[in-house]
Amino acid sequence: MTKNACMALEFTFICPLPNGFHARPASHLAELASDFVADCALTNLRNEATANMKSVLSIIAADIRLSDKCSIRIQGPDEQIAWTTLRHFVGKDLPAYDVPLVVLQDQKSRGLPRFLRSAGVTAYSGQPVSRGIGQGKTVIIGTVEPPSREVPAKGLDRAWEEEQVKQSISAARARIENKMLEHLSATEAGILHAHLAILGDVSLLDKILEGVAQGYSAAQAVMDASRFFAGLLRQSDNPYTRERALDIQDICFQLLEDVSGPKLKSVVELKGPSVVIAENLTPQQLLALDRRWLAALVLESAGATSHSIILARSFGIPTLVGAKEVRDLSPGQEVLVDANRGFLIAECTAPVRKFYEIEARTMQKRRTSLERYALRPAVTRDGRGFEVAANVSSSEELTSVFQNGADGIGLFRTEMLFFGRECVPSEEEQFEAYAEAARAAKGKPVILRTIDVGGDKPLSYLKMPAEDNPFLGYRGARVYADHQELLCTQLRAILRASAFGRVQLMIPMVTAMEEVLWMKAQIKQIQHDLEAQRIAFDPSMPIGIMVEVPSVAFILDQLCAEVDFFSIGTNDLSQYFFAADRGNARVAGLSNVKHPGFLNFLQGIVAGVHKHKRWVGMCGDMAADLSHLPLLLGLGLDEISVPSSEIPTIKERIARLSLPDCQKLLMQAIACRQAADVASLLNRESNGASRSLLEPELVLLESEIDSKEEAIRELVDAFYVEGRTDDPDRLEEAIWTRELVYSTGLGHGFAIPHCKTDAVSTGSIGVLMFRTPIDWDAVDGNPVRVVILLAVRESDGNDAHLRVFSRLARNLMNEEFRQQLLEAEDRDAVLSRLTEELDRSG
Amino acid sequence: MKIVAVTACPTGIAHTYMAAARLEKTAKDLGHEIKVETQGALGIENPLSEADIRQAQVVIFAVAIGIEGRERFQGMQVIEVPLQEALMNTRGIFAKIRS
Repeated sequence: MTKNACMALEFTFICPLPNGFHARPASHLAELASDFVADCALTNLRNEATANMKSVLSIIAADIRLSDKCSIRIQGPDEQIAWTTLRHFVGKDLPAYDVPLVVLQDQKSRGLPRFLRSAGVTAYSGQPVSRGIGQGKTVIIGTVEPPSREVPAKGLDRAWEEEQVKQSISAARARIENKMLEHLSATEAGILHAHLAILGDVSLLDKILEGVAQGYSAAQAVMDASRFFAGLLRQSDNPYTRERALDIQDICFQLLEDVSGPKLKSVVELKGPSVVIAENLTPQQLLALDRRWLAALVLESAGATSHSIILARSFGIPTLVGAKEVRDLSPGQEVLVDANRGFLIAECTAPVRKFYEIEARTMQKRRTSLERYALRPAVTRDGRGFEVAANVSSSEELTSVFQNGADGIGLFRTEMLFFGRECVPSEEEQFEAYAEAARAAKGKPVILRTIDVGGDKPLSYLKMPAEDNPFLGYRGARVYADHQELLCTQLRAILRASAFGRVQLMIPMVTAMEEVLWMKAQIKQIQHDLEAQRIAFDPSMPIGIMVEVPSVAFILDQLCAEVDFFSIGTNDLSQYFFAADRGNARVAGLSNVKHPGFLNFLQGIVAGVHKHKRWVGMCGDMAADLSHLPLLLGLGLDEISVPSSEIPTIKERIARLSLPDCQKLLMQAIACRQAADVASLLNRESNGASRSLLEPELVLLESEIDSKEEAIRELVDAFYVEGRTDDPDRLEEAIWTRELVYSTGLGHGFAIPHCKTDAVSTGSIGVLMFRTPIDWDAVDGNPVRVVILLAVRESDGNDAHLRVFSRLARNLMNEEFRQQLLEAEDRDAVLSRLTEELDRSG
Repeated sequence: MKIVAVTACPTGIAHTYMAAARLEKTAKDLGHEIKVETQGALGIENPLSEADIRQAQVVIFAVAIGIEGRERFQGMQVIEVPLQEALMNTRGIFAKIRS
């Protein structure tokens, strides 16, 4: 601690945040500083910018980047305690605030698919930030800057103008607060919350009042303040901070509407399906648009983390950003936005319409194909059932979870109810959320995990002490004894919800038997109270624990006598097993779940639990990785719990696996020397060992298609529908790349397009037979009746597949074989003739 | 007549083998003895030995890409044709052989 002449307290620190001091750490720091009377100033010693620490804007504007040296200076009556608190926060907790609010994958625009390119279609490219396809008439919206000439520059009377400013702030605050009373998504609520914080920011108010004091009108002062802060934020190197400029403008624009009357209001009314094009759009502008008609959004300069984009994603509006020349388009023009690939097509010509019609049909077929698996229990090829449940973080997900075919909720992260708010949620609020989940599950199990905070998930109002090593510290079940009231409120809410469905309770981060016994005693007490109060609950609600701390894996005999089920949390279990912090990039690679030792450990856990006829599932990232699936089945787990969007593909894959094969594979994996060997074992496994080259769905007869382009697309789409490629554009491109060397029309009415590409997940054969032969530019110049598409993976080429292909190619030179295919009466005949041939060569 | 041949195509999946099948069939029809080495995605199959090459009077290259071991055939009568020709005009290839 340094004391300088005027008795202020000071300390310096180096900014540890890779993304710099963006909104989240800044608002936490501002919140902390605001608790004290003392003046707190933060100076960035790199650029000499000094911030008022009680203002988020001011902190952000100081543009503090990774490794910037900063000093904090505190002066006032409670400076001592402020110094201790702030120093502690900066030294210990700050690094945990690094992750920006929402991280969006930086998706690049992909080119036009070959089919559209060959039809001469041109497009404007843009970065897709919210997926989907939208079609509608263009609506072009102007900039967010209000026209300055409509604003009186000079103020009338200082006191009156000041009053205007204050009134407009409270009006804007009231509007947002009212909006927050509606049933909002967490995303929307979070953004409105951030806007409230800006409205309440002292620096913003100070700056506006400073303008008024200089004789400007309230409106002019608001505009000046908006420009000042937006300008400061735009200078930042951090894109996340730069994008906050728009939020400031948004807020100030609203204030302006209040101080200068409604004539500035610029609500755009959408009539019919519309594609909204703008340089940028503020969150409030977006919220004001009629979402029924908002088919797509194209923004020239918004960044991927701007609040408008986050909102667009949460509403599922197809959105492109960074589309440069789109403003040349005229309003009212019919356009199509493909935000799966990243472009806007300005002319919806016949081939465009055809392509997207086919694509929509293909997508629908793929969904239907997946639904076949999703909505039924997952069963392996040899008839063994396997539960696939969903991880859930909020009630909003419940509908989609069961639409995706979840067999239950394997992990409901109740702590999500506790984040992003000022105080503990009430029993009633919690009960509502849990009961809603229980009801939505309609008799399927719902595993509610009691609050899991600490470590990487600090909770501001719990006043968790800062620790040197939070992951090995005070977290999960370890904090319960000290926060008994909070825990018991939650237990009551869970028990009450158990009357509404198959609720199961799970305890996180259990280390020892004592914790289990203590929890069971609490639960028993609450059950007793509920009984006395005649409140309904399920007296036989199962109680389980997370297997995250290795110690519990070695007392399973004892634990099985006390708990009903176990769920393996692989993220934490692996970091403790390998002694490697998963947040530390230098060692995170050590925490590899494919390590043979870890697989061996898991096998021991499953066997240890099953010995006592107890149930064991797995939640955590390991379970959600499709390539691990054979290992998980081989382990004999009773269930896996994954993000619900993964469920359909996981169930589809399960249907192709057989339990004995998986058990064998697991034994091989455990015997491997190293994780890399396990990885290549799994790679070989996923490349076709369990999937045949040809399926009935890949044989298309009596096709009316009349062009080579369409025929290839049709086969590619069939591969997509059957889950053999998840990148049909790339597969199509690979086929054409080969096709352009010289035509694969081999004469006699046959063509054999083929390629080596990792766009296919496994070696595949597709067959298409035309009703009327079409031109294929074949060597003998004759039109083609039969197309046989061969695709094999490039990186881990399967020799067995290649041998089949070479054999098939040789046979096509045999007139008798060709004749048999041409004369085949139906799909079965084609299939059996080909299969016969393939088996012979296998 | 004893003939050796090499087939190779860009991806090594289909045409290499189609051409080989075609050459083998036509040679048989014409009463020639032929051995065809395929250089495809499966690597070199049915490789031509030194003896094979020594005994042959002619080598046919039905290739669309560069091949491995071309030097093995130095001093021999070489008939090089585009791969497609081996599919369509196979007899024509054999007609080119100088006896």
